[in-house]
Amino acid sequence: MRRFPWLAATVVGALALLALVAPVLPLPDPVHMDIAARMAAPSTPHPLGRDEYGRDVLSRLIWGGRTSLAVAFASAALACVAGTLLGVVGGFMRGVTELLAVRSMDVVLCFPPLLLALLVVTLLGPGAGTLIPVLAVLFLPGFTRVAYAGVLSARSLDYVEAVRALGAGPWRIMLRTILPAIGGPVLVQFSLAAAAGVLLESGLSFLGLGVVPPTPSWGLMIGAARATMNQDPALLLWPCLALTLTILAMNALCDGLRDAFDPHPAPPRLRRRLAPPTAPAAPLPTQRGLALAALTVEITTPTGALRPVRDVSLHVEPGETLAMVGESGSGKSLTGLAVMGLLPPVARVANGAIDLDGIDLARLDEAALRRRRGAEMAMVFQDPGSSLNPVHRVGAQITEAIRAHQKLSGHAARDQALALLRRIGIPDPARRLNAFPHELSGGMRQRVMIAMAIANSPHLLIADEPTTALDVTLQAQVLELLADLRRERRLALLFITHSLPVVAEIADRVAVMYAGEIVEQGTIAEVFARPLHPYTTALLASVPAEDGPPPLPIPGTVPSPHALPPGCAFAPRCPRAVARCDAGPPPLVRVSEGRLTRCIRWAEP
Amino acid sequence: MLWLLRRLGVSILLVWIVATVVFLAIHLVPGDPAELLLSQGGVAPDPAAVAELRTQLGLDRPILVQYVASMNGLLHGDLGQSLEDQSPVAATVMQRLPRTLELIAASAIFAVLIGLPAGTLAAVRRGGAFDRIASWLAGLALAVPVFVTGTLIVLVFAQALGWLPAGGYVPFAQAPGRHLLLLSMPAFTIGIGLAAVVLRITRAAVLDVMMRDHVRTARAKGLPPRRVLLRHVVRNALSPVVTVLGLQLGALLGGTVLVEYVFNWPGLSSLLVEAVNARDYTEVEGIVLVISVLFVTLNLLIDLIYAALDPRVRHG
Repeated sequence: MRRFPWLAATVVGALALLALVAPVLPLPDPVHMDIAARMAAPSTPHPLGRDEYGRDVLSRLIWGGRTSLAVAFASAALACVAGTLLGVVGGFMRGVTELLAVRSMDVVLCFPPLLLALLVVTLLGPGAGTLIPVLAVLFLPGFTRVAYAGVLSARSLDYVEAVRALGAGPWRIMLRTILPAIGGPVLVQFSLAAAAGVLLESGLSFLGLGVVPPTPSWGLMIGAARATMNQDPALLLWPCLALTLTILAMNALCDGLRDAFDPHPAPPRLRRRLAPPTAPAAPLPTQRGLALAALTVEITTPTGALRPVRDVSLHVEPGETLAMVGESGSGKSLTGLAVMGLLPPVARVANGAIDLDGIDLARLDEAALRRRRGAEMAMVFQDPGSSLNPVHRVGAQITEAIRAHQKLSGHAARDQALALLRRIGIPDPARRLNAFPHELSGGMRQRVMIAMAIANSPHLLIADEPTTALDVTLQAQVLELLADLRRERRLALLFITHSLPVVAEIADRVAVMYAGEIVEQGTIAEVFARPLHPYTTALLASVPAEDGPPPLPIPGTVPSPHALPPGCAFAPRCPRAVARCDAGPPPLVRVSEGRLTRCIRWAEP
Repeated sequence: MLWLLRRLGVSILLVWIVATVVFLAIHLVPGDPAELLLSQGGVAPDPAAVAELRTQLGLDRPILVQYVASMNGLLHGDLGQSLEDQSPVAATVMQRLPRTLELIAASAIFAVLIGLPAGTLAAVRRGGAFDRIASWLAGLALAVPVFVTGTLIVLVFAQALGWLPAGGYVPFAQAPGRHLLLLSMPAFTIGIGLAAVVLRITRAAVLDVMMRDHVRTARAKGLPPRRVLLRHVVRNALSPVVTVLGLQLGALLGGTVLVEYVFNWPGLSSLLVEAVNARDYTEVEGIVLVISVLFVTLNLLIDLIYAALDPRVRHG
């Protein structure tokens, strides 16, 4: 629970207190008229002067607040008790009771609120006695819905199930477990209803359909002062001010309470980091393809900076596939996003170089990066379901990618999109162009994503778990398509995955990531035949094989970037760890050309 | 199409429920309309006069007969006769209704023109100066009741400065410029509060959409930032904005009462206040019904727009 809105609560509390003690305050009678002193200017016994009937304005203001708050709180309280009860009973009993208690509220919602109030006032006549039940009926559905929703979600909670299993009766469960669980939302609803009550009471009184004169009410005072606003605008301003401040304070309290009871924490305040990385780049030979040199990504958090990607160096040549493999949280995806310049706003490249065809992307500004994104480099994401925009047709999304980088007419772009879909193996491509993403199957959507990525013939394609969301047969087809495209277009393919069988199928070389670092690199044949890092060994052993030994899960979990071990990051989970492993971060050892390991014991038996 | 038919059926059902509730409210509430109508100043009316009025109004018939007659009238667009001057309620309502709809439409246009761009900018620059100022102003706009805003506008611009008229109405055909000027004041008054709502919803919706995967895809295509924002963020954020705006406009169908009263705008809502004050039951019943039907129609319309904005709904 976040900060409680003390300031707003204090103001509302003070207003309520003032309204409560109004009878014992040394105030002139708010309804005592003195026609001789009508519109009298402020004086010591009457600091705000007198109104058109010679009544004391300050006293009427305070008593008016008493009326408004009394009506508002009484109606909110009435609605709260009745509505919560209906919602709880409806949510708990289900069946016909649920229908009667919850669905009947929809009838109330068929009427605009002020209209319903007016209808009832016509039937019952104005006055506080009418207002309170009318407002209560208006607020009822809100409470019923909140309580009903709360009960439905609380019912399924483990501890409610547990209490039920222990044999507690329904009333006992309701009182002991469910009511406390919905307390927060109901309180928020109460504050909303009370604020709306003040607003509705004053509005109806202003029309002469709420509180009956001479009872003081802010709405009545504003209505009356309109007639004399030429002579004394202050008479109009005071109740306007009182009303506005009261509603402002009550609204602030509502917002504060809602935030305080919101189970979802607020996202951190984001600040765009455009500062280019400061560290010197390692000199790289100008070459085709992608080369990362000592890439480090930093994330700013409230508790300090984290480095979820550290010192990553690798290269992918045209026509080659490099697989980055590792468990989730190892920094693979962030590395891919860093290359694309698509890091989330809290993250930035803190160090290192990202060389694509001899140009360091880490040193380019956003505009220059944007011209390369989708043109020289492209990325396919994990979940094609959420990665396509649901409200635009597939064709529009592809042509938009083409036209972002090529000066083409809409027609020509459409022809190109058609050719792309055909190449990517989508049956009946002309019809698919007019389809919305939700009308396509998962495998088809991922093909569309790939079509979009290769639309402008990029040199580099980053595929981030492109097959994880697909079933096995589709997986194989998508992998085959990527491999074909790589050959045919001499793509440098950076393939990010957690699955070793996929790596074996598609990659030439593999880089194993663990806790933000590359722990081993080499060709597929070398790494699979003779892993040089215990983590790679453990990964290989965790894959189920048809005729091999049963798969062995790796004990423990990837350390969080908040709490990295002092030495080797894998040491706490490593069966071969010795005291030396904790001494300091191990260096990346070059065993032979292109063969790297971060294990200090790699050469030991 | 099936979806549309089902939705239409629900709407008709709702209208029928509303009509029934209004009928029941008027006929079953303790206190006889005829008696209430005749009792002026707390004096008990003459029983013979009450009986005569009951016969005249058809209140002496069995309740079921009255109900069927009332529903039958509704089907033929007959809302009965005013108790006050025996004029057909339907004709009066149809004369006043366009003015209220015009007012609501103008307020909505105003609210969207202000709230949508401001909410988008606040989301894009979240935490920045614009965001904080806009949020603060929106909070203030929501706290000032419309009749206070309206009264203060009249006080400052009409009474003190004399720049604007204090309110009133002239038909558009008679004096287009003055009609629009007179319309703009109540529309502005309602629009401020509505713009604050639109701003808040837009800001929240844009922030939500900005975090979605498909926006990252759009950026990965190398689209210009403006296109990403408009086509992939704001476009997707429109659905919640339309929903909330629709609910707000629905509430306005009865809620223009206060503003029409302040600015002497002779719309449907002020007719309602007149009818309430005159205890003209048939007129109140007719107005409430028409507004509720509009309310239901508006909700249907919102659902249709929603379906147009989000293709997934059509198949849901």
